[in-house]
Amino acid sequence: MIFDKHQETVDDILSRYPVKRSAMLPLLNLAQKEEGYVSQAAMREIAGILDLTPPQVFETATFYTMLNLKPIGKFHIQVCRSLMCALVGADPLIEWLHKHLGIGMGQTTGDKLFTLSTVECLGSCGTGPMMQINDDYYERLTEERVGLILRDLRESGDCSMKSGPFMVPERGEGVVSS
Amino acid sequence: MANTPNMLTVTIDGIRTQVPEGTLLIEAARQVGVMVPHFCYHPKLAPDANCRMCLVEIEKIPKLQTSCSTRVAEGMVVRSSVPHVEAARKSVLELLLGNHPLDCPVCDQGGRCDLQDFSHEYTPTVSRFKELKRVFPKQYLGPVIETQMNRCVSCMRCVRYCDEVMDAQALAADGRGTLTQITHWAGNELECDMCGGCIQICPVGAITSRLSMYDYRPWMLKRAETICSYCGDGCQITVQQKNDQLIEVNSALGAGRNNGDLCVRGYFGYHAAVHPDRVQHPLVRQADGSFAEVTWEEALERVARELTTIKAKHGADAIGGFITARCTNEDLYLFQKFMRVVVGTNQIDSSVRYGHINGVRALRRVQGTHRWTVRYEDMAQADAIMLVGTNVNEANPITALHVKQAVKQGGAQLITLESFLPVRSTVSNIATLSRHHLTVTSGQFAAAILGLVKAVVESDLVHEDITKQAPEFVQTIRTNVAKVSWQAIQEQSGLSQEDIEAAARAYSQAERAVVLVGRDVLRSLGGEGLVTNLMDLQILTGHLRREGSGLGCLAEENNEQGAVEMGAVAGYFPGPTGLDDEESQRNLTQAWGRAVPQGVPATLPNMLTRARAGAIKSLFIVGENPVESLPGDAGVTGALDALEFLVCQELFLTETAKRAHVVFPACSAMEKDGTFTNTEGHVQPVRQSIEPLGESRPDWEMFSALSVLMEHPIEYGEVREIFKEIRGVIPGYGLLGPASTPPKVDESTVAQYVTSGFKEDVDRRYALDPSSASPEGAMTLRLVQSLYHSGKYSTRAKGLMEIEGEGLLQINSREARRLGIEDGKTVLLSNDCEQATVSVKLNDRVPDAVAWFPEHFDQSVRALFTLKVDPHTHVPVWKTTYMTMTKVS
Amino acid sequence: MKTFDKILLTNMERPGYTGSLSDYEGTGGYKALKTVLGNVPPNDIVEMVKKSGLRGRGGAGFPTGVKWGFIPKDHPGPKYLCCNADESEPGTFKDRQLMERDPHQILEGIAISCYAIGAQTAYIYIRGEFRLATKILERAIAEANQVGHLGSDIYGSGITVHVYVHVGAGAYICGEETALLESLEGKRGKPRTKPPFPATHGLYQKPTVVNNVETLANVPHIVNRGAEWFASIGAPPKSTGTRVFCLSGHVKRPGNYELPVNATFRDLIYELGGGMRSDKPLKAFIPGGASAPFLTPDHVDVQLDFESVALAGSMSGSGGITVMEEGTSMVWAALRLMEFFYHESCGKCTPCREGSAWIVQILQRILNKQGRPEDLRTLTEICENIGGRTVCAFGDAEIAPVQSTLKYWRAEYEVLIEEAEALKTSRKEIPVLSLS
Ligand SMILES: Cc1cc2nc3c(=O)[nH]c(=O)nc-3n(C[C@H](O)[C@H](O)[C@H](O)COP(=O)(O)O)c2cc1C
Ligand code: SF4
Ligand code: FES
Repeated sequence: MIFDKHQETVDDILSRYPVKRSAMLPLLNLAQKEEGYVSQAAMREIAGILDLTPPQVFETATFYTMLNLKPIGKFHIQVCRSLMCALVGADPLIEWLHKHLGIGMGQTTGDKLFTLSTVECLGSCGTGPMMQINDDYYERLTEERVGLILRDLRESGDCSMKSGPFMVPERGEGVVSS
Repeated sequence: MANTPNMLTVTIDGIRTQVPEGTLLIEAARQVGVMVPHFCYHPKLAPDANCRMCLVEIEKIPKLQTSCSTRVAEGMVVRSSVPHVEAARKSVLELLLGNHPLDCPVCDQGGRCDLQDFSHEYTPTVSRFKELKRVFPKQYLGPVIETQMNRCVSCMRCVRYCDEVMDAQALAADGRGTLTQITHWAGNELECDMCGGCIQICPVGAITSRLSMYDYRPWMLKRAETICSYCGDGCQITVQQKNDQLIEVNSALGAGRNNGDLCVRGYFGYHAAVHPDRVQHPLVRQADGSFAEVTWEEALERVARELTTIKAKHGADAIGGFITARCTNEDLYLFQKFMRVVVGTNQIDSSVRYGHINGVRALRRVQGTHRWTVRYEDMAQADAIMLVGTNVNEANPITALHVKQAVKQGGAQLITLESFLPVRSTVSNIATLSRHHLTVTSGQFAAAILGLVKAVVESDLVHEDITKQAPEFVQTIRTNVAKVSWQAIQEQSGLSQEDIEAAARAYSQAERAVVLVGRDVLRSLGGEGLVTNLMDLQILTGHLRREGSGLGCLAEENNEQGAVEMGAVAGYFPGPTGLDDEESQRNLTQAWGRAVPQGVPATLPNMLTRARAGAIKSLFIVGENPVESLPGDAGVTGALDALEFLVCQELFLTETAKRAHVVFPACSAMEKDGTFTNTEGHVQPVRQSIEPLGESRPDWEMFSALSVLMEHPIEYGEVREIFKEIRGVIPGYGLLGPASTPPKVDESTVAQYVTSGFKEDVDRRYALDPSSASPEGAMTLRLVQSLYHSGKYSTRAKGLMEIEGEGLLQINSREARRLGIEDGKTVLLSNDCEQATVSVKLNDRVPDAVAWFPEHFDQSVRALFTLKVDPHTHVPVWKTTYMTMTKVS
Repeated sequence: MKTFDKILLTNMERPGYTGSLSDYEGTGGYKALKTVLGNVPPNDIVEMVKKSGLRGRGGAGFPTGVKWGFIPKDHPGPKYLCCNADESEPGTFKDRQLMERDPHQILEGIAISCYAIGAQTAYIYIRGEFRLATKILERAIAEANQVGHLGSDIYGSGITVHVYVHVGAGAYICGEETALLESLEGKRGKPRTKPPFPATHGLYQKPTVVNNVETLANVPHIVNRGAEWFASIGAPPKSTGTRVFCLSGHVKRPGNYELPVNATFRDLIYELGGGMRSDKPLKAFIPGGASAPFLTPDHVDVQLDFESVALAGSMSGSGGITVMEEGTSMVWAALRLMEFFYHESCGKCTPCREGSAWIVQILQRILNKQGRPEDLRTLTEICENIGGRTVCAFGDAEIAPVQSTLKYWRAEYEVLIEEAEALKTSRKEIPVLSLS
């Protein structure tokens, strides 16, 4: 059982809502965090916890694009393709990623390390092109920067180039007489 | 509760009308004859306003509004056929058709499709959509349901129906936007009530029945309205055939007590009637034991001769009759008349004996009528509904829908004393809607009901009127329940005092409360007493006489209520009235032109005993199969083999019919006319909807033909004449149409009961029987009804057999883990009587230490059971036993 | 350009300011909450916010105080506040900064707003991708709970406010307030038909206010400095205060700029944003997030306030301004946004669901030089049949890019279609489409 070892978290989540079903997205997110995707077993378990049927969990899960119902690679690269990022060069970057990783959209590399997806606007239009890898944002991307990021992830599983607390323009930068 | 609603004035397309507050515009429009086209709207569902087809213009509101979700406001002026409204409709259609495949020529919905009809009405013939259509692969949802999602218009009616009406939540919308499709979940095969509601409610052909797929074009079908013969709910069905071939069954919104809803048996079970194994010719047993097909004349003459001879030799009481309550009122009436008038015996009984009789007797005794004093409509108004041992969703699925609706929409509090756990799955479970669920399994009901009465008496919930009117009644019960300790009740019922008290309080404090009692009570030892105690509960809380409150016994077979009323049950004349009722004797003698027989009645167990003892020489068994309806130790075969002459009138060569000397091929309910009386007491017309198979004939014709040959002709030109006679014998019979009110309790009977009638057995009824406890360490094995079947008849329906085709032993996963058993594995069941090997299916609704086995497939386990006969009502009880279970490696 | 005080970004632009509780308290944070809790009658706060003229920063610009006033006062059961932190409108990225840099400013706003409407529970519905903001908010809530700015019996006033972060999972539509409520109830995020409105039948069918992050962040400042002060900023009486505008696209210095709403697009794009990134001139800009119709260089002197932008034929919406330089294909730009809308349509309403898919296909075709002369008429009509015919405002939003580009840059469409006609004789037509 996936949630057994998270009993406390589950209880805490449930305690926040007067109606159990509200814990749906938190539990789906938790399941995905735990297994990398939302498995059938997880949906069944969530249904049990929330006193719902598995189809009710399933239909909710399929509405939300962040939830993967199939296993994916260790690093999920999601590049924004919406207009704002596209204006500042997202498309060539996506092409570059295809070539570099040797995979198509929605596919996973043979070593199960990277899955590549495009996504719609992630709310960092001022710092595009950008991508999200697992929990982290990487912004103001260039081919070179992406290359370094992938290298770091491959080598150490982490990368220092991810964004910290967001501030754009940076303090002082671009501030005209105000 | 319901005040007269406020009336509002609205003008629709120039027509002024008044509608009650809360009316949706689309409904108001319909009332004045303006049909607003729609897809997602359905009167059974909460408005969702997703298709945008029903847009109308409302004065003073700038944007067009959806009439399916807008409620009428005072003075509203609405236009539904102005050009820009029509343009909006055209556009919705164009958008829907964009992605719609052009497969109308092979679509089962073609010709009765909303999309087709509206397209015909509103759109030009050329489409501007020249892009690629979205394509979904065909989806196999399960053995009987298939989806063609390319046809889906995303109205979500199916998903909403499954949730809001069925409370099954088995369908899911998968995905988002235009790529949304309807499915079960994650590619799993559909598991649900299989009610077919999604197929019926789909406005296009996106969800289809695999039983009739591609078999027809709707306009080729010949339709007939009749009543389903699977259970006591008595749903109105539309039977459809093409070239004399049975194609499908469905139901129409607004029709019958089911108002368009059906259950799996009604929707997918129709093939039983045309099963190739049907007996199609009269059969006579030969010297070598085989059957020979003979002419009707030969068969009838043989039977007439034998019966006449036996009667002459041994007297009329050497002949007995036993008939199924699945027959029409006319069949039942004529059978008892035949037995009484032509044969001259009162030895007649029916399958009502299997349990319904317990309820009938208790109701007659306490309230003077054996009928429901409430109807489905009262449930919608009820504040509390209490279900006692019904598993209503399985036994009476449409009654269950009314309960679901009362709880979900009417806000009734549900109290359940049921033998299953409130575990949710995609098969609906009434207990999950319960506010007070008490898990009570067989053997525990007496203690649980006693507990309720004790709680009412001791928690000061007794209504003051009854304390005043019948102090002795109240006091006697008080004294009696005081003798039983809470501890004893807790031990025997497995329930806590608090839970019982909470349930009792909820029931007592409700303004209107409906109690429904089912087979776990009715088909149990002492069932009559249990129902009587539940009636006491009604009296004590003041519910018995209250408008909108009442107790109903659920008829499991389709015409149990009718069988009682036709006098086709031991001890009763039509009415029913008692055999000793002099007025009835007089009236019947006059109506029948012959004195009613004076012989004693005989119940089924009686008749079997008498047959074994040689006192009964011949049995006439109509549509019943006691060999398989009773356990091996009941000695049915011994009794039948001892007979000189056995006649069976049957659809199939059952184990009983195989022992007959003559078998008459009878028509199924779809092949004959007549009436059924449903569990609520509605007398509903049964109409022939397919041609009789082979030489089979309606049951009543055989009785009539025999009567002529036996020189006491009771003849009728057509079945309606029998009904006319019934109405003469039971004044007003059949008047109770859907709109009329149910009978009231008979005040003098109640008065008699609370002053003295109750005394007779009150001590016995309010004592606990310690012998009902289960033996240490054993598991309880119960034969239960499955939602997908009804008796053994349904096991001839191919659709139902594809859904559930074999008997699997069900235990919950805790038990499975405890015993080290996995789903699908084989186990050995054993007890003092016998052993049996069966496969296991996990079902978490089954309580701990209990195993269920579907009674429809009981052949393999029947030997584990032993018969007990209720000493007072002669109800044969045997569907619970104890056993141990071991894994077979 | 006129000088002005920043309101929301002031703290975070201070050197060394981290957004921690102590930093926030150090700049006078939670003073407003302390002042009002139990001292100022809740209704007075509602009135104050009404008077300030504060309007929703989430997109629709509904007067916040008026919205609060719809909450039934003597409702016996629970009431809820939902802070809309779904920020998914393409071109908008201000709430993220407000949350990551100064979470307590929002929490204080939430606490005061809860007090004003009588809610004891607030949920911050944040889009699932904002993991960092989620962590920062959760940490801030824990801090605030610990010292008693939030929780039960705040400052001994008897007032309780519990704040929880509720994380979404990828669905733009959940920014629409009723879809947000559905999602928060654990369902598919499909908008509800209104009426009934959230003010009476919101979360769990209880009275509920949904407000944007930035809207709520303004509340402490209004309490501290008074409704009159706030109402004097910007373009009173209808559009008051400042807004954090998100500048993106072909500008030198994209970013979040807080300006009083009477500043102009020119101020924002040329002065703060440093003008066009390359030397190409401005061709088009979107003035208020992807849902707002495109505007042209002729509109750069329009003021940023709700009325002025509306008068110019667009909307100020979420405050996301995206700039496009000469040479950008407007058909392509419209398609990119349409693809977004197609991807994000919840699928409830026929016009939105089917219309968006159809428009995407036509635009793809036109761009691939397979357009047909009748396409523009079809596009126009599909748009007309979506607008005003759907449950939620998404339907109106999704047609904005097509309608506005058709209005101003119709010639670009026509050229592509003419090229297609020219090619037609020379090649067989094979649609090149991708929808999933
Ligand atoms: C399709 C759609 C998406 C929306 N997305 C957001 C959003 O991401 N964030 C937001 O604050 N408001 C969004 N809104 C506006 C909300 O519905 C709502 O008006 C707002 O949260 C109210 O808060 P405010 O009055 O403070 O602006 C969206 C509206 C629509 C129709
Ligand atoms: S307009 Fe679009 S997004 Fe809004 S409810 Fe309808 S289908 Fe969903
Ligand atoms: S019937 Fe009204 S929107 Fe579908």
